[in-house]
Amino acid sequence: MNFRKTAAFFVTVITCLFFFGMTGAKAAEPYHLGVALGLTGTGALYSADQVEAIKLAAEEINAKGGFLGRHKIELFIRDTQTKPDVGVREVKDLILRDKIKAVINDYSSAVAMAVKPIAQEYKVLHIAAISNSENITKINPSPYTFQVVPNSYMQAKAAAVATAKMAKLKGWKEYITIASDYEWGRSTQAEAVKILKEMVPNLTLKKEFCPRLGEAQYTSYITGIMALKPDFVYGSLASNDNVAWMEQAKTYGFFDKIAYPGSLISVTELILQAKTLPRNLIALTRAPFFAHLDIPMMADFVKNYRAKYNKFPSDWAVLGYDAVYALKQGVEKAKTIDTEKVKDSMKGLTVNLTRGKLTFRTIDNQLSCSSYVGTITDDPKYPFPIYKDIVEVKGSESERPESEILEARKAAKK
Amino acid sequence: MKNKYLFPLILFLLAVVLPFIVPEFWVHVLTEILIMGLFAASFNMIFGYMGQLTFGHAAYYGVGAYTTGLLMVKANVPLLLCLPLSMLSAGLCAAVLGYFCVKLRGIYFAILTMAFGQLVYYIIFQWYSFTGGDNGLQGIVPPDFLGRAANPYYFFTLIVVAIGMIALWIISASPFGYTMRAIRDNAERTEFIGINVQRYMHLNFIIAAMFAGLAGALWGPFNRSVAPDLCSWQHSGMPVFMTVMGGPFNFLGPLIGSAIYTMLMAFVTSFTEYWPMVSGIVIILVVLIMPGGLLGLLGDKLPFLRQNEHSTKETNG
Amino acid sequence: MDITSLFTQFLSGLTYGTILFLVAAGLSLIFGVMNILNFAHAALWLMGAYFSYTFWSWMQGNSFAFWLSIPLAGLAAAAVGWVMEVVLIKRIYKRELYEQLLITYCIALIISDTIKLTWGVTNKLIVRPEMIRKPVFIFGAPLDSYFIFVILAGAAVAIGLWWFLKYTRYGHIVKAAVYSREMVGALGIPIPRIDTWVFTLGIFLAGFAGGIQAPIGSITLGMDTAIIIQAFCVVVIGGFGSLLGTLVGSLIVGEVFSFTILFWPEGAMVLIFVITAAILIVRPWGLFGTPMRT
Repeated sequence: MNFRKTAAFFVTVITCLFFFGMTGAKAAEPYHLGVALGLTGTGALYSADQVEAIKLAAEEINAKGGFLGRHKIELFIRDTQTKPDVGVREVKDLILRDKIKAVINDYSSAVAMAVKPIAQEYKVLHIAAISNSENITKINPSPYTFQVVPNSYMQAKAAAVATAKMAKLKGWKEYITIASDYEWGRSTQAEAVKILKEMVPNLTLKKEFCPRLGEAQYTSYITGIMALKPDFVYGSLASNDNVAWMEQAKTYGFFDKIAYPGSLISVTELILQAKTLPRNLIALTRAPFFAHLDIPMMADFVKNYRAKYNKFPSDWAVLGYDAVYALKQGVEKAKTIDTEKVKDSMKGLTVNLTRGKLTFRTIDNQLSCSSYVGTITDDPKYPFPIYKDIVEVKGSESERPESEILEARKAAKK
Repeated sequence: MKNKYLFPLILFLLAVVLPFIVPEFWVHVLTEILIMGLFAASFNMIFGYMGQLTFGHAAYYGVGAYTTGLLMVKANVPLLLCLPLSMLSAGLCAAVLGYFCVKLRGIYFAILTMAFGQLVYYIIFQWYSFTGGDNGLQGIVPPDFLGRAANPYYFFTLIVVAIGMIALWIISASPFGYTMRAIRDNAERTEFIGINVQRYMHLNFIIAAMFAGLAGALWGPFNRSVAPDLCSWQHSGMPVFMTVMGGPFNFLGPLIGSAIYTMLMAFVTSFTEYWPMVSGIVIILVVLIMPGGLLGLLGDKLPFLRQNEHSTKETNG
Repeated sequence: MDITSLFTQFLSGLTYGTILFLVAAGLSLIFGVMNILNFAHAALWLMGAYFSYTFWSWMQGNSFAFWLSIPLAGLAAAAVGWVMEVVLIKRIYKRELYEQLLITYCIALIISDTIKLTWGVTNKLIVRPEMIRKPVFIFGAPLDSYFIFVILAGAAVAIGLWWFLKYTRYGHIVKAAVYSREMVGALGIPIPRIDTWVFTLGIFLAGFAGGIQAPIGSITLGMDTAIIIQAFCVVVIGGFGSLLGTLVGSLIVGEVFSFTILFWPEGAMVLIFVITAAILIVRPWGLFGTPMRT
């Protein structure tokens, strides 16, 4: 009887202490992380994947107590509608009402560029994980803006180098570009044209096509290009635009006649167009999970992501996941969640991500991550084709030289 | 007739006091309300006073925004000088495009304004070397004497918008304004008494565009950037929403509508990405249940809100 | 530029024009009879495309699935349109222009979000049957073989509508209603019922056009906002309420777009708006319309 009473007393005390301890741990300030992505409009497809991966990363980190083991991550997710002015308003709202310390933003480079000065004014970290125009970090740099995705220059260079090699090999003479009419499409196209000119001087650019972002009818472009009979077409179309363009071009037997090397075909497209994608196409992507399954972090991520969402992670999921973990490691190095210190600690920081050990470049806060070029081939292990003979073009091989960045900044100041 | 000024005065005092009470985010919302309110009021010069629906008014707003943006970024022109220049450029655009628009009425007027609006949108969108294309223009900041905080720019906006609204009020209460009402209510009869209806409409169109340009000019420094979306037809729909919500037959209706709509959106977007559905349902209810807008509804109950313009207008189809 | 490539571009314009015609036909019909400019038309067109995807995936494996899903999409959209007319549109026939535009615009917003809630953000792809995956060559010019079907369907809709308006009793009533609703009402014909059925027919055409669009590329959210403006242009150029006008208008827009891309890619969209504005200024009722009653 007595023993029971004593036992009950102890159990009560221990339970009380336990709860006390828990609330004590909880009392540490939570980390408010904003996610402002284009959940409606052309960016919805990629953004939705990224949100899922960010949620997964936050859950994992929170299961271990949060950042530094005590600052639980609270997510605040907003829709920028892929429009710059809406993006600015939503991010202001996140900063002022939800008190976020960092924001992952955006699908569209134009939105990311509009948000950049706002984040800087309010001293909030700004991480770009889909939008990758190099202008986000190249000119008017903000110490608060970081980019965890290979930027447009790096991607263009990787694709253009691969394309140039093929052009030399096959003796191609003439080509045409087709680029979606927006920041990313335009800048990628311009860089590729420059690099191709340098590497294969006798190549001539016959025409540049810029269909509207979100175009649904490519027929006139397709036949227009075929009429000019180029040796190859260099495409800077992303997401839904690339899907629509390729589906329509294929029905014209376009790819049988004209080579189409180096366009962006991410894992999203590989999965969506599994049945219809032309095989043996040489293409480019930003963060394919199958390129890094040897890294335990990636293997775990793929396993957990599949368990939670019952699908394979796209590039955008990988990048979102990496964005959160890069931030985590910045916080750990700073030993505080104070944004000023985290920002400083992330400068030049080397982080362990699903894509390996990567470093933020000091000059522009661009993660020196790889671009991936490969041949689209079926694989029995997956219900969709993947890249074979992957060439991983490292960040160090594809980054814009620092001297050029400084020059561009000087020119922009004038 | 003194209490005619009571309601605007209350609003103004409220606008002066509010930023000291509400948190900073709401100061940004208030700034947006003012800018969009002036935009909607300028739209109502065509809609409420002239009786024509324009679905391309954002073009002039956008031209104003881009004029200020370009002048500030590329030529370092001070903002105070940019404002009148933006009005001028928007007015010039309207002088050309409006010349054709005012020849039409009703649905044709609506569609032609929309077609011209899209034309301006595509020109800004495609002209990369000059306007920055879809990138828009970044680095537009308020002048140094205002700093970067929310409150100073809010008060600057308040002063500019107040001057703009007073100017619009004077115009709408002038003989010119009453001629517009006459044209709205019966264009034929107005023509018969010897008034050149088309010329008057053209002039009114230009005035409306100038004030839309002024509103647009305020947007860039507020948002630190401008983008082509500001000219799109969806953006042209905003003043229509606002005016209908607030009440087109009251001078302050568009401003009140802007307050309702902007606050509603600031509220709705914070918890759902399905904001288009919410705003769609709200506006359908407004149109079906209170066709005169909020001020129209309240005006029946509170006489001091009422103005002398409840006319049963016919459409000039 | 050789003849073959010009011919190819002509064919592209023809297919583009046909797609626009299918969208704009219903729009023009509804405007002609009820005087309502339906902003929600393209949203229902997009919904038709999604319906078609759903029917296709239900019947996958069945060799008729691909073809059957297109008219079924039209019927499903028509059902939505019927409900819309009975619940909402009916109330606004007598309202002012701006109220009608606002309400149909808001319906478009609501439908777009309904699509997002129902089908999600992932774009949808319909896999074509083997027989229409390769291009066919007409005088050496390549043409997506599915487009032969698209052009035939466009022609069938045009002829069907023409026959309906010219030779059936209901067609005569509809045609009469385009000229004077009051007169038709005075003859003892129940106008509200005619309205409902014309609206439903218009939306059926939108859904059917959506079903036809579905296998062309991928089906994505937001496709509707671009095409609605182009459909407006078509209707303006051709003339409100005129079937022939809509047909000619869509072919003009399709061909102009197609050929401008060849010579001046940046100006393609701008030129279409210039043409639209010019028509409105010179001849507001369009090429084949009649000056509108007031």
